[in-house]
Amino acid sequence: MPPAMVLTVNDTRHVLDVPPDTKLLHVLRNDLGLNGPKYGCGLGECGACSVLVGGRVARSCGLAVGDVADWPVTTLEGLARDGVLDPVQRAFVAEQAAQCGYCLNGMVMTVRALLNVDPAPDDATLLAALRGVLCRCGTHVEILRAARLACGLAGGTATGGEAA
Amino acid sequence: MGGVAEPGGSLTVVRAARPPGGLVARGASDDVPADEVFLVVQASGAVTGYCGHVDLGTGIRTALAQIVAEELDVAPDAVTMVLGHTEVAPNQGATIASETIQVTAVPLRRAAAHARRVLVRLAAERMGVPAEGLAVRDGVLSADPSGSHPWPENMLLTYGMLLDGRTLRVRLDEAVPVKDPAAYRVVGRPMPRVDIPDKVTGRAVYVHDVRVPGMLHGRVIRPPYGGFDHGPFVGCSLIGVDRDSVAGLPGLVDVVVQGDFVGVVAEREEQAEEAARRLRVSWRQVNLPDLSDLEAALLANPSTPRRLLDRGDVDAGAENAAIRMDRTYLWPYQMHASIGPSCAVADWRGGRLTVWSGTQNPHMLRADIALLTGLEEGAIAIVRHEAAGCYGRNCADDVCGDAALLSRTVGRPVRVQLTRGQEHVWEPKGAAQLMQVRGGLRADGTPAAYDFSTRYPSNVSPLLALVLTGVVPAATPAIVQMGDRTSVPPYGYDNARVTVHDMPPIARASWFRGVSAMPNSFAHECYIDELAEAAGVDPVAYRLRYLPDERAAELLRATARRATWMPRSGPRRVDPAQRVLRGRGVAYAQYVHGAFPGVPAAWAAWVADVTVDRLTGHVAVTRVVVGQDSGMMVNPAGVRHQIHGNVIQSVSRALREDVAFDPAGVASREWGTYPLLTFPEVPDIDVLLMDRQDQPPLGVGESASVPSAAAIANALHDATGVRFREVPFTPERVRAALDAALGVFREIEDVPQPLPQLMPAGPTPKPAQARLRGWVGLAAVGTLLSGIGGLAVMASPWRPGIAPVARPDPARWSAATIARGRDVAAAGDCAVCHTAPGGMAYAGGLELETPFGIVRSTNLTPDEETGIGRWSYPAFARAMREGISRDGHHLYPAFPYTAFAKVSDADMEALYAYLMAREPVRNAVPETKLAFPFSLRPLMAGWNVLFHDTRPFAPDPARSAEWNRGAYLAEGLGHCSACHTPRNALGAEKWRGAWLGGGMAEGWEAPALGNLSHSPVPWTADDLFAYLRTGFSERHGPAAGPMAPVVTHMATLPEADVRAIAAYVASFDTRAASPDRAQAVEQAAAIRARDAAWAGEGARVYGGSCAACHEGQAPHMFGARPSLALNSNVSADRPDNLAQVILHGISRPATPGVGAMPGFAASLSDAQIAALMRHIRVTYAPGRPPWEGVEDVIARIRAAGTGEPGTGEHR
Repeated sequence: MPPAMVLTVNDTRHVLDVPPDTKLLHVLRNDLGLNGPKYGCGLGECGACSVLVGGRVARSCGLAVGDVADWPVTTLEGLARDGVLDPVQRAFVAEQAAQCGYCLNGMVMTVRALLNVDPAPDDATLLAALRGVLCRCGTHVEILRAARLACGLAGGTATGGEAA
Repeated sequence: MGGVAEPGGSLTVVRAARPPGGLVARGASDDVPADEVFLVVQASGAVTGYCGHVDLGTGIRTALAQIVAEELDVAPDAVTMVLGHTEVAPNQGATIASETIQVTAVPLRRAAAHARRVLVRLAAERMGVPAEGLAVRDGVLSADPSGSHPWPENMLLTYGMLLDGRTLRVRLDEAVPVKDPAAYRVVGRPMPRVDIPDKVTGRAVYVHDVRVPGMLHGRVIRPPYGGFDHGPFVGCSLIGVDRDSVAGLPGLVDVVVQGDFVGVVAEREEQAEEAARRLRVSWRQVNLPDLSDLEAALLANPSTPRRLLDRGDVDAGAENAAIRMDRTYLWPYQMHASIGPSCAVADWRGGRLTVWSGTQNPHMLRADIALLTGLEEGAIAIVRHEAAGCYGRNCADDVCGDAALLSRTVGRPVRVQLTRGQEHVWEPKGAAQLMQVRGGLRADGTPAAYDFSTRYPSNVSPLLALVLTGVVPAATPAIVQMGDRTSVPPYGYDNARVTVHDMPPIARASWFRGVSAMPNSFAHECYIDELAEAAGVDPVAYRLRYLPDERAAELLRATARRATWMPRSGPRRVDPAQRVLRGRGVAYAQYVHGAFPGVPAAWAAWVADVTVDRLTGHVAVTRVVVGQDSGMMVNPAGVRHQIHGNVIQSVSRALREDVAFDPAGVASREWGTYPLLTFPEVPDIDVLLMDRQDQPPLGVGESASVPSAAAIANALHDATGVRFREVPFTPERVRAALDAALGVFREIEDVPQPLPQLMPAGPTPKPAQARLRGWVGLAAVGTLLSGIGGLAVMASPWRPGIAPVARPDPARWSAATIARGRDVAAAGDCAVCHTAPGGMAYAGGLELETPFGIVRSTNLTPDEETGIGRWSYPAFARAMREGISRDGHHLYPAFPYTAFAKVSDADMEALYAYLMAREPVRNAVPETKLAFPFSLRPLMAGWNVLFHDTRPFAPDPARSAEWNRGAYLAEGLGHCSACHTPRNALGAEKWRGAWLGGGMAEGWEAPALGNLSHSPVPWTADDLFAYLRTGFSERHGPAAGPMAPVVTHMATLPEADVRAIAAYVASFDTRAASPDRAQAVEQAAAIRARDAAWAGEGARVYGGSCAACHEGQAPHMFGARPSLALNSNVSADRPDNLAQVILHGISRPATPGVGAMPGFAASLSDAQIAALMRHIRVTYAPGRPPWEGVEDVIARIRAAGTGEPGTGEHR
């Protein structure tokens, strides 16, 4: 048997008895019972499985757990501090930025990671960062408003009409 | 049903069950169950509403709670909605047609009003006042301020207090009065959605997140008729399942087979995935319908005409038209494309079945599963959870059938997760549709006739497990009449006829947002635009002339006003020299759902602005003004949200969505081949909500999608003068049409030219050790043979064995020696070849493909029977340096003893010590057996004479110590040239002229190094050091294939040694390049990618499958971000490595921080990968010639697999 692995997730150390090539997504969901990261494509195309690895966003469906043991892992569940939501999460609630919400994890984690490396990204950087995170319900307007709010950027894509 | 009320007191409102008409599942029993509960008010004050419809991500849960709160006069947060659980929620049919608010909520609203009446009467009795004299706010009763009845000071009376200790059950009074909308306090106000806080924190439990004690994991293996659910082959194509192919897999519980249904169950999810990947299943060949020409396929599909409208004299009108206009409009197959593949958990125990499901239609699913399993409906409970959004019938039900079958077999709860490819392939599609119009214009500009016919090949899509198992015969599909949605045009044409050709599905299809209405309206609205143009009348004004519905007309006028519509009497003049063209279009529709004549939902109108890039054909929708009349809006915020969603999704559908088919069925199996609109492409959306709060509420889930494609097509015509009558408006389709109409557009000044090829500066240095035979040439061999005695000995075909010894005691070597030996082994990459995939390190068994056959590596562990445990040091050193095994037989030079001859004595002994000190592993590797004549090992003696130079390493005194150290490591232990130098016909490295000129290893190209490299920028010592130390060079790319484990095994090598190897190898790259060349290469590629005039399938696949990780800078992302413009493999002579990495990915990188890449073998076809590779080559390796025979290379590498068991083709 390979030696047990230690993985730090949401500030808690876990000793894992799984083969090191087990996908991080499966370990997070099935061994640690976390629901934030979701299986979307298994190909790194959609971003639903996003987590933070060492503060940067990673697609956990393709990463072997043995390859991330050197870094702390954070999931959607681990963003809040002492019961206070992360500002990115607060922005998504404020802008009502979900329909089905399945893609929400990837959106929130991507914006969080972007802010980790660039506290004041410009709009083009934000759009480029979200380009590879897919939403099918068409919640882009609300998600962009939330992301811009979290990034301190003005305005939303949609002007939002008033009743005639 | 009575179990929903809790002790302590409650009021329950029930109604006799009233199963819906319309869509009824095959397994539905005729027994009408007992009463159904719509509302429970608890003594605690908590209110629970029950609805048979479910929330598909639209926020309907919030709107329903608002309705209950309004009628009951409680606070909205006091209300919890229970949606769709078959045990407790009423059967109200499938959640379709945007009718939840309009239809399904009606009894719920009445139940709340009825409950209020009961509670107010109770209060009136208690207080001794008439009920009319009471008011309620947030569940608290008081005297009506307008009344004359006093209310005692400090008297608090709540609903809860009234119910304390009482259990009331009332039968719904369908005639109970409901509130006047003018009195609404909750309904009609924007309300934050109740589900978002949990979704943003990960607390929400989607069906994917359901975990049941003892739960196993299942995967299904689908048959080869990908995405087709009827035909003579369905349910009867399985030949067999080879259970031995998965025997002994860890965690495997069972393999389940019934008809064409095949599934595996395992303890862990990755074990189920592995079993599904490895299970060998053989299927009969099937011939699927040809969908390469959709129009022909739709016309050939048998159909029954159904006349819905015949007004005036259509035939005469058309014949007498001054301008005859017959038009054909084509809509493609499209998919729901839910972002999460469907999932379910089933638990079969004690003759009962519970299914946790993301279904759209719980009761219909329950009946389907009853039919599938033979259980009574009453023995099946469907527990509904939220799932990834669906916009109609996706695989949410199918996966429940799968889970039920697997759980029944294994007797434990089983969770089944479909793969991305399975969801894409098998979800019932939104059907293709063909619309034809015969008609034209009179001389006075009025419409002469409108003879509309439509073909919609779709049905309800039977539960997949029902047809796969053969429980429901699938030879002949059912036909449903759903092609008639908004088939009657909204315009009052004098002569009009509407014919719906009801037809069976071709590919698996069912309802999808804007069911048949979206394509029908595409035709209606494009056609009237053409009429207006031919009549020389503004398209808004022309529509208004014939729009009898005043609310529709008012909406269209308001929307045009909001968009600042400029009236026009014809298309604008198109400047054929202009690269970017701009246009604006309008369309209007009302979505009519349900059986004809149907129920109208909200009205919607669009004004769309587009730009068209003449060079690429790319269409951008830049702005959409969308007006909607929804009647009364329960939650205006939710309505606005739905409109945004409809606009973005329908823009995506109109611009790019088109399900691909090939002979294996649906060929869109991931997001590159079915790309969705992305954030940078989202238009500016301006929503106009008509104020109709005094009117009945209308469904809003689909309406705003319906005018989309027509508005965009009309804008495209305004921009270009060309009519587009086929969706989607892809770059290649638009460019071809514009080139034909306006002439081929060429804009040359902006296209970057390839950078000049790199040229070596001065002569290439010679390698440190000119290998004697290969270097001096074969002519010298004879002389050498006769002149050098030692060589004569070496040349002997028969060499004596060296006697076995007792396994040496590792204690005889110092720890330092053994540690040195570990470094030697690392530098020599011994474990790379002497470890089989999944096997123990150094235990051998790796199969190396050579032109002469398969060579198997031997067991290097000190096992006395199967390894080298009984080898003396002289036997070991002889093998290493001369290629002679202990017993005297010749080894093949796939084992690079030609390089190891350079290893110093001290290193050799340390290596021996290290290997002998390892744990012995018993692993008998079958002897390598090459075909004749290579099977004659003694012939290797002659080979050695020709090609093997046994002289030890001699440093070059003219060079630095680092360079010489690098040379020793690279040419000796490291044996770089063994892979990176081409071999001659006899398998010897061609040192003369082709040293480091590139070779092949295990199906991968070991690329040329030094001046023979095709890398876009030179390899510096720093580049090589980064590459060898981390497995990634920013200026060249990652180590993959057989090179990745080389880097991994070099991890223990001292940094100075890695630097020395890098310095030595880099010294052979003297190509001169300016310092900013890497940047220039990337910039040029970025422009080429943007201006992909070669845009087509390859560019599309790249955008959806590759760009997320390869495009642009992204310091916020974990792992390397390899630039394709700088990647050596993209510029290489051979396409092999690019094909390898696309097909099989890089699952374990050389070092952890590099990140991984998935393989696409199961997701992309050979043709799709070939298109992708052509796009990558032309975009990222400009100036390099196209690769020849790419399809053959892909097919060969696919057939060779990853070297691991299983097909890797788990579909």
